[in-house]
Amino acid sequence: MTLDPRGSILDIRDLHVSFRTSGSPVTVLNGVTFQVARGEVLALLGESGSGKSVTAAATMGLIEQPPGSIDRGAILFDGVNLLGLSPADHRRLCGERLSLVFQDALAALNPVYPVGWQIAEVFRIHGRADRKTAALESIKLMEAVGIPAAAERAGHYPHQFSGGMCQRIMIAMAIALQPELIIADEPTTALDVTIQAQIVELLKALRARTGASLVLITHDLGLVAELADRVVVMYGGRVVEEAGVHDIFARPLHPYTQALLASQPRMDRSNAELRPIRGIPPNPAAPLTGCAFHPRCPRAEARCAQEAPADQMIAPGRRSACHFAAEMLA
Amino acid sequence: MTPYVPGTPLLVVEGLVKLFPGRRRGLFGPRSTIHAVDGADFTLARGETLGIVGESGSGKTTLARTLLRLQTANAGRALLDGEDIFTASPAALKRLRRRMQVVLQDPYQAFNPRFTVSDIIAEAWRIHPDVLPRADWSRRTAELLEQVGLRASYGSRHPHEFSGGQRQRIGIARALALGPDLLVCDEPVSALDVSVQAQVVNLLAEIQRTRNLSMIFVAHDLAVVRHISHRVAVMYLGKIVEIGTSEAVFERATHPYTQALLSAVPVADPVGREQRRRIVLRGDPPSPAAPPSGCRFRTRCWKATERCAAEEPALLDRLGTGSISACHHAGLQTSASGGS
Repeated sequence: MTLDPRGSILDIRDLHVSFRTSGSPVTVLNGVTFQVARGEVLALLGESGSGKSVTAAATMGLIEQPPGSIDRGAILFDGVNLLGLSPADHRRLCGERLSLVFQDALAALNPVYPVGWQIAEVFRIHGRADRKTAALESIKLMEAVGIPAAAERAGHYPHQFSGGMCQRIMIAMAIALQPELIIADEPTTALDVTIQAQIVELLKALRARTGASLVLITHDLGLVAELADRVVVMYGGRVVEEAGVHDIFARPLHPYTQALLASQPRMDRSNAELRPIRGIPPNPAAPLTGCAFHPRCPRAEARCAQEAPADQMIAPGRRSACHFAAEMLA
Repeated sequence: MTPYVPGTPLLVVEGLVKLFPGRRRGLFGPRSTIHAVDGADFTLARGETLGIVGESGSGKTTLARTLLRLQTANAGRALLDGEDIFTASPAALKRLRRRMQVVLQDPYQAFNPRFTVSDIIAEAWRIHPDVLPRADWSRRTAELLEQVGLRASYGSRHPHEFSGGQRQRIGIARALALGPDLLVCDEPVSALDVSVQAQVVNLLAEIQRTRNLSMIFVAHDLAVVRHISHRVAVMYLGKIVEIGTSEAVFERATHPYTQALLSAVPVADPVGREQRRRIVLRGDPPSPAAPPSGCRFRTRCWKATERCAAEEPALLDRLGTGSISACHHAGLQTSASGGS
């Protein structure tokens, strides 16, 4: 997958984020860099604590400062640095040109307002429509995301919907103003597998229809394989690998990605041996010198504990932050 | 019905029913009844792992908890070596409980935070004093910790000092302290980081093999269940809809729900994803307080006919393939079938 000639819609450069709770600040993003091309689905793959959700929160202006602090870097959205915008300007952009779908839709919706009202709120806040038009638009959106009897259901409250339906309502809100970029943070993790399949189909259909870019934040390799064009793998607050979706699965070039693939049981294979990753994920409060993966890495040498590997471009569209990346490619 | 029995059964479950009181209909109306598990029959052989899969509300956790008599069954029998767990006297139940132990999703919530790891493990021997003389407790604790991949010296630490994966190892050590015959695992890896899940899955598989344990493994992650189970039961709205060997269920499923469930799982391989066929079910599962008549899956099934509404399908091997399913129209999935 090559970058769209129209350039990237989102360009995150050397982003450093830390949090101060008690004692010394804890660095959770340690120089994150990646781009999202127009119209593509980029998967941000990582475990809890890898920094993928903090990256999304920083982009959406949702990091409260303090305790959070954006220490360095830039987040360019269509060439404009979001970190330089006033909170009011940032908010205006969010919803209009970029939007977010949360994992726990029921928690993200307001329990005391009908869902139609909440979808219509998007239009009203951004001054796009009067009350009446907004209400009609929200019913159209509910139909577009596959909610049956939308006109009637618009008057219902979030608790009257199932988890899958709440997620559809979240998606309706996210696409209301036809944004150019949608960030979906674990959009199906809380859902049952048959409902997850419905949401995946919905995301695919919307993508084909709207041409918006989608950043899919997930730890689920299956979802990545299903939806993504390109994959950015995060570990310990850094990007460790980036490649097209076929390359990531066929020929991963970072030991973490390789280990993650080998450790997951697969539905389509019986009893292939699971090779677990030894040890535990890194603790951001106790940062390591060198490569964050070295205590768990089968390839680690003395050098890995001392020297943080550079983020290397190894082939067109392929990066890996491993001292041995070039050897693995050879 | 003749269930598939690979060896002598350790556990025989017949007609297990567990109901919960539901919401009142109106202010003074009658309470509805939730049929959490509505007549489950199966056997579990010695040294066998039975996976139980299903979506939320299917009754899989209720089934596991009822078997352990953590809640009381409304009907049915569960015979552990011929002795009914559901009707056992308190003294007999205590004896039975020594033989059946549980591994929970989040053991941290079950640990007393003021206990050390040694206290947590030794509590089992305090309750069952005739299992192990006190003089052997510390030696045995160290052995158990090493068997689950922890250092013996961890015994003096407290649960909050451990990561999720390590806590689950402590939970497994605790469950093994009494040398049980049956281990019931309820979502044992779903709260763990993905990179740590495989460690615990491999540990449970190894323990099952080396101790020849019988294991009931309840999980919603189908890939994990396929990996660890000899046989698999698929539940939908309180009913077992299909049961068979892992291979039969995953390769030659004959119940439409099983087929839909399997096809819904995203495969971690992008090759050929455009060609992959997926059965996307309509709507959500109905409420267990008001299940559909006849076959409970019929409201979302693309094969449903009038017969499905009138007559509840029995769990049978209709095709002679070894996979037992509860569907009037049981059949292998062909490329032409599928709702999508």
